[in-house]
Amino acid sequence: MPAIYKVSYVVIGEEHPGAILNTDKEPRLDDLVRIGAREFRVVEVQELIPPHGEFHFLHASLKAP
Amino acid sequence: MDDVLSVLRQAALFEGLSQQELQAIAALCQVRTFRSGEIITTQGEHGDELYVVSQGFVEVTLMNSAGGGEPRTVVQLGPGQIVGEMSLVDRGPRSATVRSLTDGALLHALKRDAFLQLCQTDTHLGYLVMRNMAADLSFKLRHRMLTGR
Repeated sequence: MPAIYKVSYVVIGEEHPGAILNTDKEPRLDDLVRIGAREFRVVEVQELIPPHGEFHFLHASLKAP
Repeated sequence: MDDVLSVLRQAALFEGLSQQELQAIAALCQVRTFRSGEIITTQGEHGDELYVVSQGFVEVTLMNSAGGGEPRTVVQLGPGQIVGEMSLVDRGPRSATVRSLTDGALLHALKRDAFLQLCQTDTHLGYLVMRNMAADLSFKLRHRMLTGR
């Protein structure tokens, strides 16, 4: 079973609720991520809690590009 | 059925379940489609369904405790996430309003009584789902702590 990344995306520097979603691609620094109608750049990624089964639980900070 | 199984496999709520256990849950799922802006749950109202987001995004909003002012969006949830789990486990009123952000958002609904009956009948399934549900609530709490909302 391929890995699934459950990611808590937090937008820094502005009032935005962020998002939680699953992706099959691990987010990396400088990736562009679309949340709703907007696109953000990944500026930080860290493991939020240890992986379980095929699920990885990550936190990523985002900024407007 | 295969489509539903594929959705369930992508949700951390069902992590660790066997194919047979996933099929038992899939048999209880009802597909719901929502237009952009359509309300899925309303804060304070009674609710007896849990939803798994299959396609699209939903937003979770809270009224302040006094009930006045503008609602505050606390998180947006995409594919693989669940909503409505609090009312499912504590039978209380809906803790938040959830609305679709996407035209054609696809969610799979699980009725509380049927779902809890399955958890009680199949205790291995019930243990894993409840453990995963606690982990999901913890994940959401950590997200809120990180966003400061």
